[in-house]
Amino acid sequence: MHKSKKETTHLPLFILGGVVLYFLSGMVDELRVYQGASIAVYVIAISSIILLTGYSGQVSLGHGALMAVGAYAAAVLRIEFNVPIILCFVAAVLAAAIGGALLGAAAARLSGPYLAGTTLALAVGLPSLANQFTVLGGEQGLLFDVGFPPLSLGEEFTQYKWFFWIAALAALISMWSVRNILNSAYGRAWRAGRGNEVAAQLAGINTARSKVLAFTISAGIAGLAGALLAMTIGTVSPSAFPLTLSFSLLTGAVLSGITTLGGVIIGAVVLVAIPEIADVVAHRLGSSESVTTNLPGLIVSGLLILTVLFVPNGPVEQHRARKAKHEAVNKSSKKKKHQKQ
Amino acid sequence: MQLLNTLLIGITAGSIYALMAIAFVLVWRSTRVVNFAQAGMALLSTYFGYEAVSRIGSFWVALPVAMIGGALFAALVELVLMRLLVKHASSGPIAGVAPIIATLGLLGVIRSVISMIWGGQDLRIVAPISNNGFTINGSTLVFSPLKLLILVVVAILLILLTILFQKTNLGLALRASAHAPEIARLSGVRVDAVRTLGWALAGAAGAVAGLFQTVNGNGNFSPDSIEFSLLLVSGFIAAVIGGLDSLLGAVIGGLFLGIAISFVLMYVSSGLFFIAPFVILLLVLFIRPQGIIGVKAGRRA
Repeated sequence: MHKSKKETTHLPLFILGGVVLYFLSGMVDELRVYQGASIAVYVIAISSIILLTGYSGQVSLGHGALMAVGAYAAAVLRIEFNVPIILCFVAAVLAAAIGGALLGAAAARLSGPYLAGTTLALAVGLPSLANQFTVLGGEQGLLFDVGFPPLSLGEEFTQYKWFFWIAALAALISMWSVRNILNSAYGRAWRAGRGNEVAAQLAGINTARSKVLAFTISAGIAGLAGALLAMTIGTVSPSAFPLTLSFSLLTGAVLSGITTLGGVIIGAVVLVAIPEIADVVAHRLGSSESVTTNLPGLIVSGLLILTVLFVPNGPVEQHRARKAKHEAVNKSSKKKKHQKQ
Repeated sequence: MQLLNTLLIGITAGSIYALMAIAFVLVWRSTRVVNFAQAGMALLSTYFGYEAVSRIGSFWVALPVAMIGGALFAALVELVLMRLLVKHASSGPIAGVAPIIATLGLLGVIRSVISMIWGGQDLRIVAPISNNGFTINGSTLVFSPLKLLILVVVAILLILLTILFQKTNLGLALRASAHAPEIARLSGVRVDAVRTLGWALAGAAGAVAGLFQTVNGNGNFSPDSIEFSLLLVSGFIAAVIGGLDSLLGAVIGGLFLGIAISFVLMYVSSGLFFIAPFVILLLVLFIRPQGIIGVKAGRRA
């Protein structure tokens, strides 16, 4: 890790990415645009897991529930107070961040399996709370309507494209922020705490506070992803945030390489693409309906296990490690030759 | 009378949680892994039991079939998945979370495969005896012959398990490998084989929990039934309350959790069914983080 160069925020890169996405969205059909929106949502959600698990070393199986918090906050404000849509998204971030701070305060005392189990209990329990309050709409859920695209964009501009634009813009902004947070003193503190908590404390890092902060930021990002997910579905209901959502996010993060933000798009694309691939495979094989509907789940879970076993730190990190090892071997062999002479 | 009812329901549910918690503890003691696939294994064993019931027609055959099936499957998981995991993913930044992720993946695989084989619809196992409450002095209790039976069977299993652990050489090997694997290995204990045995015992305990959870409810079960997510969460919480390392603690934790949930549902609100375990877990972790049966090491696994 040689970072002697001056740290840059890479703003132009992200703006360029936005321009590319803009032209791309005009060239593909409606279904692809919708899938693009889903990918953008997953990119945001997975980056929240990478920040939390990959950098600060805390596991959360409850991010589905935090996404639900964000989605419900946005939907309630939209329905009850007719708040402008941009403020709804801001509220989603804040609401989930508050939830995350509370959970993080409990989490800072826990680690490993204890934390995983606690957040798992949250993921099972929280969505069912929606049935307790009529303002949350019970099992039916709430409608969440971001409205039609503005007329200034032209008559041709479809609803799905509007979803994609909102989601992609949010993804670019949050990726840019996450990247810069991870490269800041906070990110270094998280990594230090993950590597060796006692050493980090000796170096003057308040590891407990740093963990709670990681949980708060990660939850806020998850809340944004939740509100965006609700936007693409059109409703917010307990069934939109099942336990499997939390598991999928973790799968996406592991596939992306849990310690590298750069791979996040891999996980998101895989999560969106797998149901389609599974569909094609099942049709080729001419298998029954029960196989077809469960093949995506099997592939996702199978990939999760295989990745952990054989590429535990993700494809990007694996490649980097192999390269570094290769160089090290080269260097040491040169050294030996030198010594012989 | 309502108080007694609530207590008895809580104890019955708690005894099932206790079995699940024992499964968690056995796996934790043998490989230092919290097995989040435990509920999936219990579900699979319930399907084994279902097959036995529909072929032979007796619940009393189904119970041992499910236990043996569950034990074999768990042993297989330990032999294949866990050993590969130790070999490949025991270093690097992911080492701490790798077992959690792997067992979650296994949970997903089990669920999908079950849905492929048996379909996603509800199947049904009929309880061997009536679940209609006893009648005392003209008033009907919720406590039924079935619930009594569950309590008796769980008690017998616990006694057998205690004898195994305290009175046999195998039990000594199990305890030795859990506490000091290196020293156990030096004194000739085949630690790897003992680990596999620990998983197998956990699989059997989970199988009984799965079958009883099903018949104690309405008898229906499916790959997606929330009952099994609840069994996973409750079993884990019960194990944590008990300290995650102690079998006695797991039993106490299970009963405590069962009774606590039962009282919350009766006296606070029945809508809190899913959130109550989470709140109880948080309270326990804040008030007594080392569990009821205290272990010195604390919660930093």
